[in-house]
Amino acid sequence: MLQRIIDFSLGNRLLILVAAVLLMGAGYLAYTRLPVDAFPDVSPNLVQVFTVTDGLAPEEIEKYVTFPVEAAMTGLPGVEKVRSLSNFGLSVVNVYFADGMDIYFARQIVGERLQEAREQIPDGFGDPQMGPISTGMGLVLFYYLDDATGEYTLEELRTIQDWLVKFHLQTVPGVTEVLGIGGYERQFQISVRPDQLVRYDITLDEVISRIRSNNLNVGAQFIEKNSEEFIVRSEGLATGRDDLRSIVIKTVHGTPVYLADLAEIEIGGAIRRGLQSRNGRGEIVAGQVIKLFGTNSSAVIQRVEEKLAEINSILPEGITLKPYYEQKSLVQAASRTVTSALIQGILLVAIVLLIFMGGFRPSLVVALSLPFSVLFTFLLMGRFGISANLMSLGGLAIAIGMLVDGTIVMVENIDRRLRLAPPDQSRLRIISRACGEVGRPIVFAIAIIILVFVPLFTLQGVEGKTFRPLAYTVAIAMLGSLLFSLLLAPTLSSMLMRSSRKQGEDDEGAGEPRVVRWLQVPYRPVVGFFVRHRPAAILVAVVLLALGAVILPRLGSEFTPKLREGTIVVRLTMPPSISLTQSQATTRIVERRLMAIPEIKEVVSRIGRGEVGAHTDPINSAEMYVVLQPKDKWRVKGGQETVENLIREELGNVPGVLVNLTQPIEMTVDELLEGVRAELAIKIFGDDLETLKDKADEVAAVVGDVAGAADVQVDQVDGTPQLLLRIDRQAIARYGLNVDDVQSVIKAAVGGETAGQIYEGIRRFDILVRYAPEARSTADAIAEILITAPSGAHVPLDQLVSIREIIGPRQITREDNQRFITIQCNVVGKDIGSFVDEAQEVIATKVDLPPGYLVTWGGQFRLQQEANRRLMVVVPVTLLFVFLLLFGNFGSLRNSLLILLNIPLALTGGIVGLWLTGQNLSVPASVGFIALFGIALENGMVLVTYFNQLVQKGISIDEASVRGSCQRIRPVLMTATTTALGLLPLLFSHGTGSEVQKPLATVVVGGLLTSTILTLLVIPAFYKWFAIRVEKES
Amino acid sequence: MNVFNVMRPFSRSALALLWVLSLLTAATGPISAFAAEDEHAHDEENPRTVSLTPEEQREFGVEIAVAGPAEIVQTLQLPGEVQVNGNRLAHISPRFPGIVTKVGANIGDKVTHGQALAVIQSDQSLSNYEIKTMISGTIIDKHLTLGEAITREATAFVVADLSTVWVDITVFQKDLPRIKVGQQAVINGGHGMPVATGTISYLSPVIDEATRTALARVVLPNPQGGWRPGSFINADVMVAAFPVEVAVPRTALQGMEEQDVVFLKTPAGFVPSPVTIGRKGRDLVEITAGLEPGQEYVSRAGFTLKAELGKDSFGEGHAH
Repeated sequence: MLQRIIDFSLGNRLLILVAAVLLMGAGYLAYTRLPVDAFPDVSPNLVQVFTVTDGLAPEEIEKYVTFPVEAAMTGLPGVEKVRSLSNFGLSVVNVYFADGMDIYFARQIVGERLQEAREQIPDGFGDPQMGPISTGMGLVLFYYLDDATGEYTLEELRTIQDWLVKFHLQTVPGVTEVLGIGGYERQFQISVRPDQLVRYDITLDEVISRIRSNNLNVGAQFIEKNSEEFIVRSEGLATGRDDLRSIVIKTVHGTPVYLADLAEIEIGGAIRRGLQSRNGRGEIVAGQVIKLFGTNSSAVIQRVEEKLAEINSILPEGITLKPYYEQKSLVQAASRTVTSALIQGILLVAIVLLIFMGGFRPSLVVALSLPFSVLFTFLLMGRFGISANLMSLGGLAIAIGMLVDGTIVMVENIDRRLRLAPPDQSRLRIISRACGEVGRPIVFAIAIIILVFVPLFTLQGVEGKTFRPLAYTVAIAMLGSLLFSLLLAPTLSSMLMRSSRKQGEDDEGAGEPRVVRWLQVPYRPVVGFFVRHRPAAILVAVVLLALGAVILPRLGSEFTPKLREGTIVVRLTMPPSISLTQSQATTRIVERRLMAIPEIKEVVSRIGRGEVGAHTDPINSAEMYVVLQPKDKWRVKGGQETVENLIREELGNVPGVLVNLTQPIEMTVDELLEGVRAELAIKIFGDDLETLKDKADEVAAVVGDVAGAADVQVDQVDGTPQLLLRIDRQAIARYGLNVDDVQSVIKAAVGGETAGQIYEGIRRFDILVRYAPEARSTADAIAEILITAPSGAHVPLDQLVSIREIIGPRQITREDNQRFITIQCNVVGKDIGSFVDEAQEVIATKVDLPPGYLVTWGGQFRLQQEANRRLMVVVPVTLLFVFLLLFGNFGSLRNSLLILLNIPLALTGGIVGLWLTGQNLSVPASVGFIALFGIALENGMVLVTYFNQLVQKGISIDEASVRGSCQRIRPVLMTATTTALGLLPLLFSHGTGSEVQKPLATVVVGGLLTSTILTLLVIPAFYKWFAIRVEKES
Repeated sequence: MNVFNVMRPFSRSALALLWVLSLLTAATGPISAFAAEDEHAHDEENPRTVSLTPEEQREFGVEIAVAGPAEIVQTLQLPGEVQVNGNRLAHISPRFPGIVTKVGANIGDKVTHGQALAVIQSDQSLSNYEIKTMISGTIIDKHLTLGEAITREATAFVVADLSTVWVDITVFQKDLPRIKVGQQAVINGGHGMPVATGTISYLSPVIDEATRTALARVVLPNPQGGWRPGSFINADVMVAAFPVEVAVPRTALQGMEEQDVVFLKTPAGFVPSPVTIGRKGRDLVEITAGLEPGQEYVSRAGFTLKAELGKDSFGEGHAH
């Protein structure tokens, strides 16, 4: 079969060449269109539904808004989980879909169900909207409005942001949303003086309805006049404060009572749940640009930046838009890291080729496999929608060295055959024969490399999303290299490679480049020694294995090393009960402390949330984006981590504030994942918040007593003070009032009621009617609010309601349509499985749960257990398949086992490499081990295949071992050095993202060192015990 | 395990396999490094003590005061209206019906006792007679014009002595027990009007059936005439004033675990002390237990201290 393929390609050389050129062209085209990201997007596949209901407490949000939305989302196809969060004034429902489901389809079915949910939500309780079509990595650029004149108010700046900047930016292709935050949204505020209401005997309701009915434009069709039509329209819209002032609320004896007689009319800022500040000097107005799902980050940012420059030219004098965070530099840095590694790798590989191949022409054939495989990979990446990022390109960088292996073997054999063949023989036939000889092992070797990456495809969650692109590109690239070596290498060889000028014997060393001959001189006696003294070989192997076994437990472990994004975010968490004013004051203090650190150039903070869509943070949380000075002004040398430590140290403890250092993407993705960071998460589901809290405390106490429990922590669910006004039904009955009569006054007087809009062109601003601040801003003032009874009597509120200050929930979280509370816990010095068993037992005996309350167990340990369980199946199965492939290749159980022996020998080098460089065992390191297996197996195969060939010729096993090793030192060293050198740039890279690639490269390079030495020394020695039985059988 | 059965004869390979497995599971194994590290800024022995450096106190605006006696003033703010002093009002009516032949006074005129205001020709005697004011004061209403046939029932003039006015304060049912005759009230008309102080001289014995409110009255001198009857006012009635041994400003109180606390300054740091609140004034509250006279306490920005104490609990709270 293989021979037929090779013959076909040799017979249709032009066709093959044209096809290859076309394919490479298509690959290049795909490359220019590949979306470029910094990292693989690990955000879950979810659709968010936001509902803003100003002024409603978490309990009411949950009851009236969250529940109907949540209920509508159950039973949708592909939904994995529905989580919700009911906060003050905001409901967020996260609908998690299965990975791989089309986001637009998901949004469409959510949209359909939202229609149902809207009908269930009472009027005036908000309108649920889907979040932006984006992911956790969609926040690509943040900017603020810099006012050099200092003359603009925050409210004017916000108007510029919302009505000028935003609209222009939203037209940029690839931008799905622009969210404003900071400053104040312009609003016409009507601050009603309650004593004037009493004086003129007017209710607040009447004021609101009067304003509404005095602010209108109508159209009244048209009239005909002299054969022309005149459109009739009537203008009655209020255009500003003066129009509002002169709205007549009531007429007494012909004397009008104007709105201005009852209220102050001002242009002010709307109620807000967040703000932006900068450098400890005060508030600013900012905006966030969100990228559309699936678009090319760098291209979108590029276009946004161009647009920003354009907008800057039309903004009022003195105002400029200043970006303070953009993902472009990160994307560029990450792709610079991998592309430079890629290019350096290619160069290094090419040099190795030149040295070992000993000729320009064969080297060229081999080197050509690199662009072909790489472009082939880009083509398929484009087809499969894999973005170019740190991991996918990293996969290519890893594969660089392996891509040439198949072709090396092929070309080396062709080279040898051409040299050996008599000059009169047809070149095509020689090449065809040469290719046929090695075709089979090449297919098997590449198949094995692809196969060992299979376990990576089974990784789930964040790790899966991070490393799967890498596995994909490696597999695709290897496939490309296989195509090249089978189809193109013979063709190209036939065109480029010449027959040998001089004939030579099939003698080792003849025709070999000088380097190889030079290496063979010391190698031959050494391998001879080991073949003669096999116990020495065993000793070496055992010592190395033992070394690995000793070092392995000393290695630390971590899940995945943190990716450095290059931007530091200082995150403040303040008490949940904090007011925005205090939150701002505290943030300002921290900003000033940060600005005192010389490395920091600028600090831009966001407190709470602005326009809904990207963040749902409450006002007790502040995120401070730190802009650093250029590196040469730092007092310390090093990367992001050093500065982070410096900041941590110099910022010190901030009283009353929890300070965390994080990074923009990390933070956003974590928020979307909403996972529990502890090993163990015990969730109690149930209805009553009090009961949940009590039971959670009980469970925490019980679990805390179980040996091995550490850091037991119950979710803080309460913590927001409430002023609870409970209607006294008896009291309102005496005055003939309805609950609604009282509540509508409470809502309008204290919270405010929107009474229409003022239009300024197409800009529209709310008219908010509310009591004057002194009549509503304290509990005492609220108690004095007068309610007008049907009899005309004015009754103070505290005669109708009971007023209590209580501590209410700060937010209500739900999962699977139920409220829940989480108890987190880590386990120290004990096996987590038995800990869970024990804890489950004590909870069952000691905690009495009411009916309807459910306890579930989860956390990181569950994910890890699942991952481990999967790997326990996948790894042996993979190895079995590798074994079967080997067996298929050699037709010998013994040979196959000998080659498998390479694996542990290779591991040792990887482990030692990690240990020497002080790195931990981590997922990328594991990926490195996996790659290592493939390469080690390949090397073993090359040697053993040749031994077998020699043995079949009738040469004794010992002789075959030594001679074979010496002759095959070239391909073995070449495949090993190309792979190792291809990775070398990653090993020494300090660029963005190198922290993930480094452990991988360390393992492969370290492993290759030991594995190559051992392949060359131990395998020949062991070959005797694993050799095919040619002699005895024949 | 079939995989291993096949390999049993070759124990080395099986061993290698096991090693591979253990490696992979170790690499993806449980990681306890995720455990959040907590900053313990406060004293380990007494977890309820907070220490702040003097700079931090300044930064966060923490103010210290010494507990001591103070006077607590309790006030009630009530709506009211300026009325004409009903005791100093005269309705001037004609003695006999007739025709008005002369009008000698207008609204707003100041008149003195006995001054003639108009002349009327009596229908009965056809003789002219003067109608005179019975008090000195200001004409606040006038219901006759020249030539008008006026009847006896008509009120021709209303003369009020505006040198004093009544301020009628609306007292809601719930506040009645606390309002007493003799209490001081600060009358504020707003709109730039001067503020006046008066004494409640009357409290209505019955409650209005329509409005369910009672009426408290302050008589205010009105030499300038600034208190115009009909104006709405707010009255701050001082319902009680008493000296107490320990009082703190409201800003000193913090709620912790549904309890009111005041932070005490001790040599070890700031310690929250649960307090019992006595009577509350407008700005000050009486402390009956938990704070001794002479003790130093935090009078402002205690929130920061409370936040520092509760810091550990709000760590994991965000959005989970």
